[in-house]
Amino acid sequence: MTATPESKSQDSQAYLPDFCAASTLFIVLLVAELVAIALTLAAHDAGGQFLIELSKTSFFVIWLALLGTAVMCQLRNRLESSGATRAFVISFVLLEVICLLLAEVSWQLTRIFAESSIINDTHGNFILRTFAVSSIVIALAMRYLYVSSEWRRSIVLEAQARISALQALIRPHFLFNSMNTIASLTRSDPTQAEEAVEDLSDLLRVTLSSPKEMSSLKQELETAAIYQRIEKLRLGDRLTVRWDVGDLPMRARVPNLTVQPLLENAIYHGIELLPEGGEVNVVGKRDGKMLEITMSNPVASGKARDKDGNKMAMSNIQQRFDLAYNGRASVSVDDSGDQFTVTLRFPENEGDV
Amino acid sequence: MKVLVVDDEKPARDRLRQILEDESDYEVVGEAGNGHDAVALAAELVPDVVLLDIRMPGLDGIETARHLNELDKPPAVVFATAYDEYAVDAFEARAIGYVLKPVRRSRLTAALEQAARLAGAALREVATEARLDAPRQNVCARIHGELKLIPVSDISCFRADQKYVSVEHDNGQDLIDDSLKSLAEEFEAQFVRIHRGALVAVSRIEKIEKTADGKSRVVLREGSQVDDKELIISRRHVAEVRRRLRES
Repeated sequence: MTATPESKSQDSQAYLPDFCAASTLFIVLLVAELVAIALTLAAHDAGGQFLIELSKTSFFVIWLALLGTAVMCQLRNRLESSGATRAFVISFVLLEVICLLLAEVSWQLTRIFAESSIINDTHGNFILRTFAVSSIVIALAMRYLYVSSEWRRSIVLEAQARISALQALIRPHFLFNSMNTIASLTRSDPTQAEEAVEDLSDLLRVTLSSPKEMSSLKQELETAAIYQRIEKLRLGDRLTVRWDVGDLPMRARVPNLTVQPLLENAIYHGIELLPEGGEVNVVGKRDGKMLEITMSNPVASGKARDKDGNKMAMSNIQQRFDLAYNGRASVSVDDSGDQFTVTLRFPENEGDV
Repeated sequence: MKVLVVDDEKPARDRLRQILEDESDYEVVGEAGNGHDAVALAAELVPDVVLLDIRMPGLDGIETARHLNELDKPPAVVFATAYDEYAVDAFEARAIGYVLKPVRRSRLTAALEQAARLAGAALREVATEARLDAPRQNVCARIHGELKLIPVSDISCFRADQKYVSVEHDNGQDLIDDSLKSLAEEFEAQFVRIHRGALVAVSRIEKIEKTADGKSRVVLREGSQVDDKELIISRRHVAEVRRRLRES
């Protein structure tokens, strides 16, 4: 039971398919009929009449399927908002109750109008069989829906991470300011202009590589250093960066673009807004099997604008870390004082995807 | 045409100077690295046009332009930005001159030609639309034809004084042109109205006390240059002042 092709983009995050859609209803009925056929085949022996048995079973099963789909169609939005696990548990219980109710109603109806000649079973047995078969079928369907929703979500996460990686580096401000700097240097200092173009190219090359790719910590620090050189041309004495990362294993694997975006953030939201500039401190530590990189920068008091932009950059990094380390890494932020501090914590050499 | 170039980044200033030096109609009379210097230089050099970077530390471009407007001979202004989509939309809407970085020669000369002096109201609107509408960090007083920027953090009280508003700050008292109403709106996060004619900085209030005749008045922290006796809170503002004081 896959989501309908025309389902909206927000549906890609949904756990349950849109039961109100015609295509979903069709698939539900198809599956119901296949179950009916399987049940009839299993019970069929030489003496019985297959088609008559099949039509009786189908009649019952299709009713169950229609009623279940109608209820799910009505309740889907409310179930969605209660979270994945609860949504599935509640759906299961609800559908089970519907099955049992319908079984009871069918039994009573056949007893009154057909004197039990349609259902060849005792009352208790019939209810019990309905319960057992429907439990198995509904559980299988739920499992299928769960797995496929997880799969859809992982695709969305990956796409978001890809976009995040792009956003993480090419901040338009940076790109255009750098170009302006280069335009200025072509006259006043052609050698430096040449180096700046090379640096900028290297940086763009890293951005264009796949965001899922891992690189070594050494490469990451080099990328950050290139970025620092370009910004230094623009900001001059206002920018100082103190690197204290000697303790980190340079061969450790980390996701692409981990350190540079932090430095960019420190400059864009911190140093650039201070008339006198300031110093960015980067400290790397090893703590057992975990590695830790802390970056702190002074922030301007008073005008605390663009806090949202800052949050977005942090959630970008968080997303890419989640994808690379399956939740074993953390990004924490402390902006309580006049310093803004970000700490990355991630397992050493465990990030291979 | 005399041009003053204002940008916090040296290469960006160099670039503007390089382009203008090639053009015979323009003369770069000075450069400033921040908004404060820009206002002082503009008063001294009386340029025809000021080229202003939007994103600068301290005073940003738009606040600087607002202060430049207070000069005796306010210069025309052209803004420069690398990327501020909201600001650019706001400039376009009002035909305010701007250039995008990297700066293109033809675009710069065209913008300088069109440069016009801006009304303060337009700048306030631009600041809002450009999402740069943080309250100013300074208010601007005119003393014998010269501009004086008073940091808002130094101010204990604004008081309506006939036609003007008197600003009482750590280094004395000055008169400014802004209305008390617009100041109340702009600085509502930092100041509270105690009666019809006075705003007091919440951070400067030490306590509220009763006078002998049963009125409430504000007592300011030590070092604040205001005569306490005058800061009587009118009855309708007492609750609000207390609330703000509790929250701070």
